Amino acid sequence: MSAETLALLLVIVTALGFDFTNGFHDTGNAMAASIATGALRPRVAVALSAVMNLLGAFLSVAVALTVTNAVVKTFDSNATSAGHALTVPGDELLAIVLAGLIGGIVWNLLTWLLGLPSSSSHALLGGLVGATIVSRGWEGVNWVGDGTKLDGVVGKILLPGVASPVVAAVVAGLGTFAVFWIVAGIALHRLNRGFRWGQVGTASLVSLAHGTNDAQKTMGVITLALIATGHWDHLDSIPLWVKAVCAVAIALGTYIGGWRIIRTLGKGLVDIEPRQGVAADASTAAVILASSHLGFALSTTHVASGSIVGTGLGKPGASVRWATARRMVGGWLLTVPAAAIVGGAMWIVGHLFGLAAGSVVEFLVLLAVAGYLVARSRREAVGAHNVTDAWEDDQPLPLPVPNVPVDLVQEVVP
Amino acid sequence: MSGAFVHDVRLALDAIWKVLLASVLLGAGLPAVFALAIRSLAGGRLVVGRVVAGVLLLVVAYGVASGLLFIVASGQGKDISFAHVIPVISSPS
Repeated sequence: MSAETLALLLVIVTALGFDFTNGFHDTGNAMAASIATGALRPRVAVALSAVMNLLGAFLSVAVALTVTNAVVKTFDSNATSAGHALTVPGDELLAIVLAGLIGGIVWNLLTWLLGLPSSSSHALLGGLVGATIVSRGWEGVNWVGDGTKLDGVVGKILLPGVASPVVAAVVAGLGTFAVFWIVAGIALHRLNRGFRWGQVGTASLVSLAHGTNDAQKTMGVITLALIATGHWDHLDSIPLWVKAVCAVAIALGTYIGGWRIIRTLGKGLVDIEPRQGVAADASTAAVILASSHLGFALSTTHVASGSIVGTGLGKPGASVRWATARRMVGGWLLTVPAAAIVGGAMWIVGHLFGLAAGSVVEFLVLLAVAGYLVARSRREAVGAHNVTDAWEDDQPLPLPVPNVPVDLVQEVVP
Repeated sequence: MSGAFVHDVRLALDAIWKVLLASVLLGAGLPAVFALAIRSLAGGRLVVGRVVAGVLLLVVAYGVASGLLFIVASGQGKDISFAHVIPVISSPS
């Protein structure tokens, strides 16, 4: 096996690993509210989300070969043949992509361990930025684009990252306020059944959109690596097997369920009830679809978090746990630099050992770090059984029964 | 670099207000319509209430179906326009 083939294989396996973490890291974006309000049982919610992600991934035939271009110029969009489309030599591309993917995975696992919802796309792009800085210098990174469209680190990461949670919070806040005003005075038990159905519908829509968008990124990365090594020469299609393995990887990840993150989003920010859940999920779906229609690249995670905070602001008398929100924003600010440091360090490791041995060493480091983080997570496991338990800094529940939906508690205890 | 940065900010602001407008309309408007439908249903067994609720739920269903259609169309690499109320799908120009 040549060095290039070995590196290609490791890139593919690592990309699928990233896709998997992308799945469980983002389950909460679609399902946290439905799980928190009891609209869906936790296991049913993650299964539904997984199926929607699988469907979404298969629906997407658009080719995302330019995914890495947002931060590093690797691909000439005007090229007419695959052989001439790459602006970076194949070996170099493999080394950057592998190091970048590892940076993304390590940050995704660390934030998952801490229960922090953070953007998987930002983690991947951050890892690529780090690998690019050490391999091609500061100028190798596409910082601001060329001014004709939103591009680069500023246009695709920084500005959407700042704007999207705020937009989502405004929309969800207005929606929550309107819904509470409209149904004021109606008995809760009459309301909640209808609103739970509304939640299931909107949450499914968010999962489907997630599958089309996010799985496409990994498909693009793998296809790019195949082009770089001469194993694929079409610009307008991707190999069917790539699509299939990526779809399965993101769906499996989603099904595993990032319970730690679901818990933070569903219970840690705001105590959500079904009326708020509908407003939050509708806001998330609308912001994601509107911005992807307008070509504004944003992260599902930032939108979903913003929506949940907004729904706490919009409900009269509700409160937002700002300590949790501050922790999350801190995590978002660190995502790109932290993933970049790991990506850069991994590129240097790979460079020291050469392409073949270096790739193997990087992969072993990834396995060791991932193994440690997963083992560490076992100490305080969060799963379907305890994901909706009361948040730690809460008063004890008035009823000794766990998993009671908020509205039931409100009805029993006036 | 600073010139390009300012340009990025301008492009972003241009996109953000459109996203905000569309999202408020759909993301806050549709839940409000949904809430109105539930309010009409909760009014009792009046036929009028049920008919009104049915119409309102149809509006919500139209919004959800449009969203679904948009996801499918953009996944297929097609453009979709909502300019004429009924969504029109076309190949990208």
